[in-house]
Amino acid sequence: MNERTRKEPLLLLLPAALLLLLGFVTPVSAMLLMSVQSPAGGFTLDNFQRLFDSGYNLQAAWRSLRLGIVQTVVTILIALPLSYLMSRASSKLRSFLLIVVILPLMTSVVVRTFGWVVLMGPNGLMMKVPGAELLVKGTQGFLGTEAGVSIAMIQVLLPFAVLSILGVVSGIKPQLEEAARTLGAGYWRSLWHVVLPLTLPGIVAGASLVFVLSVSSFITPRFIGGAQIPVFAQTIYVDATTNLDWPFAAAQAVMLFAGVMLVLIATARLGRTKG
Amino acid sequence: MVKSIPLLAKIGAVLLVIAVAVYMLMPLVVVAGASIGSNRFLTFPPQGFSLEWYTEALTTDTYLAPFRLSLMVGVITAVCSAVLGTAAALALTRFNIPGSGAIQAFLMSPLTLPTIILAIGALSVASMTIGAPNVWVLIVIHTVITIPYVMRTVTGVMARRDPFIEEAARTLGASAWNRYRLVVLPVARPGIAAGAFFAFNISFDDAVIALFLRTPQLETLPIAIYGQLEYSTSPTVAAVSTMMVLLTVVLILILEKLIGLGRMFVS
Repeated sequence: MNERTRKEPLLLLLPAALLLLLGFVTPVSAMLLMSVQSPAGGFTLDNFQRLFDSGYNLQAAWRSLRLGIVQTVVTILIALPLSYLMSRASSKLRSFLLIVVILPLMTSVVVRTFGWVVLMGPNGLMMKVPGAELLVKGTQGFLGTEAGVSIAMIQVLLPFAVLSILGVVSGIKPQLEEAARTLGAGYWRSLWHVVLPLTLPGIVAGASLVFVLSVSSFITPRFIGGAQIPVFAQTIYVDATTNLDWPFAAAQAVMLFAGVMLVLIATARLGRTKG
Repeated sequence: MVKSIPLLAKIGAVLLVIAVAVYMLMPLVVVAGASIGSNRFLTFPPQGFSLEWYTEALTTDTYLAPFRLSLMVGVITAVCSAVLGTAAALALTRFNIPGSGAIQAFLMSPLTLPTIILAIGALSVASMTIGAPNVWVLIVIHTVITIPYVMRTVTGVMARRDPFIEEAARTLGASAWNRYRLVVLPVARPGIAAGAFFAFNISFDDAVIALFLRTPQLETLPIAIYGQLEYSTSPTVAAVSTMMVLLTVVLILILEKLIGLGRMFVS
């Protein structure tokens, strides 16, 4: 390689790298620093201590964790058969389902949440669904309930899970299933023993993405759940913008960051041992 | 010999398709439906028919100014993101760079970091340096979070190219300028365009970063809708929201034309 071709990739990469330094590395490090900085400028863990002492914020964190797990499990349980169906469907049905999944994905979260607010009120269409009153334990509607938050959130999360799993399941050759069935396995058995194990990398990737998005979302929970059932990201938002208590907001964001990194690293590990 | 699919699985598939379609599209249908009712109070199913909310949405400054801002931020973000993301993707796909895996992971990392963490960091850095956030802060952060999408679409297109065409151009003495203008960029074009449209969509729809950085002078369209939702849900918000959904439909059609939804979203 001569001098010029060595410079070329560097020149191409530099602008994006510099912008990331300014608009990504700087803000994230500033937030990390802020969480451990005392008003005098020294090092302190007071903000974290406050988080563990505060019932309200800690409760919001637990709620986010609980809702995150529930939403991830339900999302994957819907996404699995759906992606399998999409991968084996005719190209017409596949395109239809792809649009059904992608249109909401590309629509602003405020618009989708707005739709759910209309549907979930006490007189909304959803209370007319049989069994709705059992789900929310009353006739007050879905607003202000965890069930309502999860129903609205899973609609936001499902596209991410479907697209993660679809990529993997589309790569599984139908001949494998045919082989299993020719060798005497039933339809369900071939799904359980052949397709599902091969789909595992997609499930793991999809689940970790969905969980991370779930615990860090706050616009849908804010409008559907409201102030009675705050989630962690919501208390971060309120502390940062309304209470202007930035160090405390930063400490909470760092906890969220740490949790998210833990999940991502675990996923990467899992992917490596499988691969 | 292929054995048939059991009846139970077929019935289940039909039910699943219907349920998922209703579930995914219902919130959008409800918003569109509520926007054409004649009742001032938002109802679904709509009562009567009226387009007056669209007239109201298109004539009041409540939405027009935010719309103009969102459009500007979206277009500048799309252009910046397309230029920077394409350049990076072209470097990573066409050269053997030491540590290219790490560089790629670094440039893609805004994709996995929750936007709320970036948003709060951006707000604090902005207030420490320039005071109230301005439109350029928003554009920088939007560009950072959309570069990964451009890189993905451009990388996807470049992976299927014939590398020897560029080699031939080089051997035959084409200048760097001509090499990019006549060989590399035309090949990458569908990926660049798809990435740019997608970047525009993300910027135009973003509510999280825009919410943290909002000031009275810096209110994007999603934030205007967010503000209305806090107080009332009038049919005018529904009209504005419906127009946003229609814009998304147009963008999806463009993406489908450019590189196909399947190739765009399913890796």
